[in-house]
Amino acid sequence: MSPRAEASELVLLTTQAMRARRHPGVVALLWAWQSALAVLVAWPAASLALATYGDGTAGDGALWASGSRGLLDFVTRNGPGLRAVAGGALAVLLFAAVVGLVPMAATLTALAHATRDRRSVGLAPALGEGLRLFPAMALLLAVASVAQGLTLGFGAAAGAVVEAWVHASLGEARAQQLEGLVLLSFLGLASVIGVAHDLARVAVVRFQVRGWRGVLLGARVLRIAPLSACWSWAWRGAASLLPVVAAAWVTGHLGGRTGTPLVAVFVLHQAVVVSRVALRTSWLACALRTVDTTLRRAF
Amino acid sequence: MASVRSVILAAAALLAAATPPPGPGSPSPPADAAPPTAAAAEPVAGPSYDDDASLPAHADNVVDYTLRATLDPVAHAVHGEGTITWRNTSTTPVRELWLHLYLNAFKNEKSAFLRERVGGRGSTTPEDWGWIDVHRFVVRAKDTVPVDEWPNAERTRPGDEDETDARVPLPREIAPGEALQIDVAFDDKLPVVVERTGYRGSFHMVGQWFPKIARLETDGRWAHFPFHHLAEFYADYGTYDVTLDVPEGFTIGATGPVIERSFAGGRMVERHVQADVHDFAWTAWDRWLAARETIDGVDVTLLYPRGFRSVASRDLAAIRFALPYFSGRYGRYPYRVLTVVHPQDDVSEAGGMEYPTLITSEGQWLTPPFVYVPEIVAVHELGHQWFYGLVGTNELAWPFLDEGLNQAAEVDAMGKWHGAGSAADVLGLKVGDAELQTVPGNGRAHDEPVAQPADTFTTGGNYGALVYSRTAALLETLRRVYGDEPVGRALGRYARQYRFQHPGPEQLLSVIEEVLGARVAGTLRAALFDKGWVDFEVEQVRSRETTQPAGVFDTGGKRDTVQSGKGGSGGFDNGALVRRRGSLVFPVDIALTMADGTTRIERWDGEGEARRLAWHDAVALRGVVVDPDDRVLVDQNPQNNHASALDEGGGAPRTLERVTYFMQLLLQALGP
Repeated sequence: MSPRAEASELVLLTTQAMRARRHPGVVALLWAWQSALAVLVAWPAASLALATYGDGTAGDGALWASGSRGLLDFVTRNGPGLRAVAGGALAVLLFAAVVGLVPMAATLTALAHATRDRRSVGLAPALGEGLRLFPAMALLLAVASVAQGLTLGFGAAAGAVVEAWVHASLGEARAQQLEGLVLLSFLGLASVIGVAHDLARVAVVRFQVRGWRGVLLGARVLRIAPLSACWSWAWRGAASLLPVVAAAWVTGHLGGRTGTPLVAVFVLHQAVVVSRVALRTSWLACALRTVDTTLRRAF
Repeated sequence: MASVRSVILAAAALLAAATPPPGPGSPSPPADAAPPTAAAAEPVAGPSYDDDASLPAHADNVVDYTLRATLDPVAHAVHGEGTITWRNTSTTPVRELWLHLYLNAFKNEKSAFLRERVGGRGSTTPEDWGWIDVHRFVVRAKDTVPVDEWPNAERTRPGDEDETDARVPLPREIAPGEALQIDVAFDDKLPVVVERTGYRGSFHMVGQWFPKIARLETDGRWAHFPFHHLAEFYADYGTYDVTLDVPEGFTIGATGPVIERSFAGGRMVERHVQADVHDFAWTAWDRWLAARETIDGVDVTLLYPRGFRSVASRDLAAIRFALPYFSGRYGRYPYRVLTVVHPQDDVSEAGGMEYPTLITSEGQWLTPPFVYVPEIVAVHELGHQWFYGLVGTNELAWPFLDEGLNQAAEVDAMGKWHGAGSAADVLGLKVGDAELQTVPGNGRAHDEPVAQPADTFTTGGNYGALVYSRTAALLETLRRVYGDEPVGRALGRYARQYRFQHPGPEQLLSVIEEVLGARVAGTLRAALFDKGWVDFEVEQVRSRETTQPAGVFDTGGKRDTVQSGKGGSGGFDNGALVRRRGSLVFPVDIALTMADGTTRIERWDGEGEARRLAWHDAVALRGVVVDPDDRVLVDQNPQNNHASALDEGGGAPRTLERVTYFMQLLLQALGP
């Protein structure tokens, strides 16, 4: 190995060094990746609006006027175009769900490693590592999707059974509230599976194991440290909802149809997106530390 | 009927692919049914009806029902008996009575109702059949031996096995002004709740449950018809004195106030008496919770299931606004009581209905607070107390006078109450109830007329889009174009002048003409009867810097050549061409936005096919918008209402920003 190649070889960071805040570039790149995909969908939608209302002096502001006449008319008349946009959005989401495994694995690689000469992992080596880990990540995605799907399906069925059981005695509202509780509990279970999924991904990156081994390691970490793992995920999940709600409230009051308010809304929305990317990255770093600590102690 | 049904029908209109094909066999009205022309109504000078001073205190009592109904909540059956007193108010003798037995609509699939399924509620096969069996129909006329005429009744027509419209011969001719009395006994078997009536568990909603005499028009023709899928209401006014006998522990909601209540032998008996109405409906359930409040002098009772307090209280809030509002606009609500029934979702087919002094609302217990479905339904059903309730129009012949005017009343009231976001108001997105009407209504404007009998519409989607939505959009257009005061005055005058009078379209149009002029009445007539439509378009916009005319000029014996574009400091030649297509004429504003940011409004009376604007100005014209305030809701295509000069449009930055943001959030939620 040449000295240069040796210097750029990836080495594991210490547990405490696996921090999202040390990698603002990762957050920026993930934001750029999501934004690029989002624009792929938004551009045709905006083009449709541009073709319809763009030549008015108010532009597509007419679509968002009080009463929503323009919007209702736009949605009705542009059915085929909007269906094409929706189809494109679905394709992008599917693409992101599968191909997005590469940047996700690259993110974990960047969070867990540094080069031998103590530099952050570069984009190309991280993506290379992400590509190499793709089969394992795809397997984990498939397993987790099936498990979550079955959990939610079973939850829906159980909720319906409970609702039917108590409908006559408790009345519709109470019965549906109970059904909701049952569904929520299964949603919680599906979320726990999601946490295990992330832990398994982390284990694959951290211990360089295959997919099935990652499943077992993820499950083991969850078994050993269920509360700390779930709490770390849950508070960040809850925190990531707050900026969305706050931004919706501010946007509702600001309007932001044109001009400066629109620019302000754009900045606000992107701040929300970046903050959520940062929280997600923070969780992945936390998962790395949890897996590292828990499994090293267990072994 | 419920605006929610209209919403469903409107949704069907939006989903063009799901639109059912025209029905092959919508039955026509019976040959002797009253033709779709105006009922005789006294032409009285209008202005005196602009307030309640001339409002008639009572209807002309034509038919009175004194009935006793006993509910068996296990068999879901009602035994009824009592007396009907009927008077011939026509100008000719009659030899027969026509009797509506509308519970038979749910007896089998040969009923007109179930044959005509057009989509929406009531279109599924009933889970349990319902019917009415008449056992006694003894006619007592002066100087005639009482005779049970039921064995002689003609219960179906040749080739048609519908059993909802029976003809009963009379023992002798009944002269104009003469009255007769009928002793009746009947048994109802209720269906599982379908299209407003029936049971589920111990819940019972009982409408169209007794033998009801059809309305006899002044000229002696019976306005009888089977229970159609889209029309059922038309009857004479009278007094209903109904005693309801239900198991103790049940709560009753019914037409009219409770006059007596007693308990004996595990049963509760309530007597309800209400004058000046043309129908009677009731509900009985052992799970009703009740809230009571006096609103505008009316005792309002709200019945709701456990867990529905929050959503049902929104009904009450709607009544608090709408009852005084409608009373002020369309004449005082004349009854002492109003009962609002909020059924739960498993009997949603009972929701969104109107009966005299009793309405049913709807909305799931967890209806989001920013979507005004319960409010809209409650306001809509309350509006029916006036349209058709107090004017008594023929729902089969002229459904737009019933559902259409009422939808317009709903749209107007919701707009006054909640402003631009009168249907939904969330995070700055305001969706108007009026604007919601434009989409289905304009989409079907060319299909068939608005003003036609309910059973001749080719599809349920067209019925909903044209009767509900287009009528409402038309009247809202008149209100926005000509002003709230004159249009409100016109509709108020119509509602007051023809209270209890069974008016037709001509009465409405004559009042519109009185108040708003012949031009407006003509426009409305064209829109209702002749598929009238309109589309405004900004066809051209130009703004050119004024230059010296180019070319070769001989001046003073000298030949000069002026190059094109020479001399550019003389301001701008601005111009626009706005076109009106279609047969409807409305005055509109034309907004001219200049390059310096100012906007000038030009008023066009809408006459002629186009308006050309051309002027010289120091400032360039940037863009033109016709009808900038969205007053003409029936404008077929608002997308061509604007254009800009020199490609200076505003683009679509907000759409790009919002869709990008939502996709980013979606990717974060669903991505790895």
